[in-house]
Amino acid sequence: MTTLLQSFRKNRALWVTLLVLCITFLMAVRGLVDPIAEGGERYKNVVITILRGLSTGSIIFLVASGFSIIFGLMNVLNMAHGALFMIGAYVGWTMAVRPDTVVDAFTPLVLLSAGFTLLPFLDWSLQKLNLPKVAGGLLPWVGLILAIVVLGFAFPKYPITSWDVGSYEISPTNYAFAASQGQLVAPEPEGFAGISPLVGLGSIILGGILAAISMAGFAANRRRSGAGTGSTKESLPWKSFLIFIGLVFLGWIVYFFNTPISTFLLNIDTTWLFILAVLVAVATGVLLGALIEATLVRPLYETHLYVLMLTLGVSSIIIEVVRAIWGAPEFTMPRPSIFDGTGEGCPAESLGALIEHKCSTIQVLGGRVRTYNEIFIPILGIVVLITVWILLQRTRLGMIVRAGVQDSDMVKALGINVQRIFTIVFALGVGLATLGGVIGAPSTGLTTTLGDSLLINLLVALAIGGLTSYPGAAAGALIVGLLQQFIIKYGQIGIHIPFMDEPFKPTPPLVPAMTVLLMVVILLVMPNGLFGRKE
Amino acid sequence: MDNKALLHVNNIHTFIGQFHILEGVSIHVPKGKIVAILGRNGAGKTTTLKSILGLTPPSQGSILFDGQELQGQRSFEIAALGIGYVPEHRAIFRDLNVSENLKIAERKKGDLARKEAFIFDLFPDLKRLIQLQGDHLSGGQQQMLAIARALVPDNKLLLIDEPTEGLAPVLIEQMMAAIRQLSAETTILLVEQNFIVASQLAEDYVIIEEGQSVKAGKMADLVKDPATIRRYLEAA
Repeated sequence: MTTLLQSFRKNRALWVTLLVLCITFLMAVRGLVDPIAEGGERYKNVVITILRGLSTGSIIFLVASGFSIIFGLMNVLNMAHGALFMIGAYVGWTMAVRPDTVVDAFTPLVLLSAGFTLLPFLDWSLQKLNLPKVAGGLLPWVGLILAIVVLGFAFPKYPITSWDVGSYEISPTNYAFAASQGQLVAPEPEGFAGISPLVGLGSIILGGILAAISMAGFAANRRRSGAGTGSTKESLPWKSFLIFIGLVFLGWIVYFFNTPISTFLLNIDTTWLFILAVLVAVATGVLLGALIEATLVRPLYETHLYVLMLTLGVSSIIIEVVRAIWGAPEFTMPRPSIFDGTGEGCPAESLGALIEHKCSTIQVLGGRVRTYNEIFIPILGIVVLITVWILLQRTRLGMIVRAGVQDSDMVKALGINVQRIFTIVFALGVGLATLGGVIGAPSTGLTTTLGDSLLINLLVALAIGGLTSYPGAAAGALIVGLLQQFIIKYGQIGIHIPFMDEPFKPTPPLVPAMTVLLMVVILLVMPNGLFGRKE
Repeated sequence: MDNKALLHVNNIHTFIGQFHILEGVSIHVPKGKIVAILGRNGAGKTTTLKSILGLTPPSQGSILFDGQELQGQRSFEIAALGIGYVPEHRAIFRDLNVSENLKIAERKKGDLARKEAFIFDLFPDLKRLIQLQGDHLSGGQQQMLAIARALVPDNKLLLIDEPTEGLAPVLIEQMMAAIRQLSAETTILLVEQNFIVASQLAEDYVIIEEGQSVKAGKMADLVKDPATIRRYLEAA
């Protein structure tokens, strides 16, 4: 009791704010109770709205948690996080709807990245060679130009059977629709356009190596100018060769067995495809995150404003690329089959029936709850919440991250390679964002503005919860999710205000406005957010 | 330079932003001894320690540690060569408990298990507090933890910055006893504002004034030289 009182005295603002939030929440809940209905059905709207709030909050949380850990540890506000969330949705969609396209694209991407696995070797050789100044200065540019030429020659001729944004019959919208009906017919695979496959695949490997040479050259020049330093490793890094050969081999294997793999994937159950889609989306996020960190963010660490501008730029590039590949029109992603049953026994009356018939909806207190959106997503959100929490609290990586958030110089001084931790954390953070994207896609659909609205929500959630606090990210996301869904619900039934004849109905544009308003109020009372630490 | 030197800092210059903080600092730390860096506030004592560790890399000069050049190496590589750092203001990790604060300093698995007995013998209090969060510790306990953390891996050199700052007299005594006990095992480069403490602990001294090392020698000689003490160390 005394400790509770002490805690109250120390954090008066927090307790009062939480109390006010709770009272507001209870009042909002009370307003949704249906006075006419009988028994449990009176709470139908309350339960459904809260579940929807949890769902929205879960998606925001998935993205916000990564964003917040990255900012806490590296002081980088990754404005591309929303766009990367969107990438997760689009890549996941492609795997779920057109796995043959992913198989086609796999080979060139693996062959391209194979070149980059030679980086440790190239770094080593450049240090050994110690090129004269002019040659060293020219090398990265020559490498870059040659890489662009070679890849520009090979990539357009590479056969990737995909879709055409311009023609409805073979547009993503139409494929999405066909997939949701279970009637997808993938187009016939094509061959190389006018060059032999050997030349095509070889050029892509060469292009990757040239790009890697260019990167190693730039890094060497940075080292020379004293901006970054590194130690000379004496032994030849053999391991990078083995990885290179392994990746090239993998790329060729997939190229060789392209058609059987595609056919297999096109015919498996949508639940399996969905699981694969999640894996592919997360892997894409992790790789993209590592790539962005290593190539773009790392050279600019010391200048936070530039990193902010840079990630904003990356964000708009990603959006344009998505628009170019998948087109601007909105389309849907099919739900996995275990959450999509509509036949006999559906909507499910009980949890047992839900699992037995794989229903897309379940009957709760007289209302229908969507299994995927309102049950699966919140559960997944909680699973990720706990997993990341355990990762932070129980592993050495988590310990280093928690320590680094406070004082990364001291972590370095303990002999820990913080640079590597930065890359890992950035990659995992982006992986969480793409996970959020692919998980959210079947419920929200895919548009090129997906990332922008999410970025706003996550910034608001983090401002409310406290920018670098993990519990704060969870609380903020939950508050934003609930608030939005309650306002949407009140938009349908209206709020009775005394002395007004008509109930007041908040319009949809009020939804973002209200979350921002809440943020402003909370920040006025608690400038560091609910759980942020005073610096 | 004699061969027994563990650390030899030779005329380093360090910039922080555009500020020329160190304008030529040289320090000689013989193996097994305690060397105190003395000087007024803002003279560059802390920056000297950070420059050795590469946290504020020097732009000129050389730093030889155990026969290796540290200039150009990254902080974590320097630390891994066997340098422990106890920063000023007891910068322990507030969000980690005592046990984690020690565990994070492991460079090899089992470092902590090996050193535990030694550490808890030196600071018995820490054993009792092992599960307590860093920010619930008192100032003295935090200082003990900060030193203990530097003892977890096998370090050949400890850089200790203001270990007695803001501590009660009883704790200062305790801290001095601990540092003395440590110097039997390892070499220590100490920054200490409190001259009485420094003169009782250190065998050698270096005085830094406005970013330059201006005087060095045996502590025993300095104690007998009130003119030098007044000139460089007393409040201006």
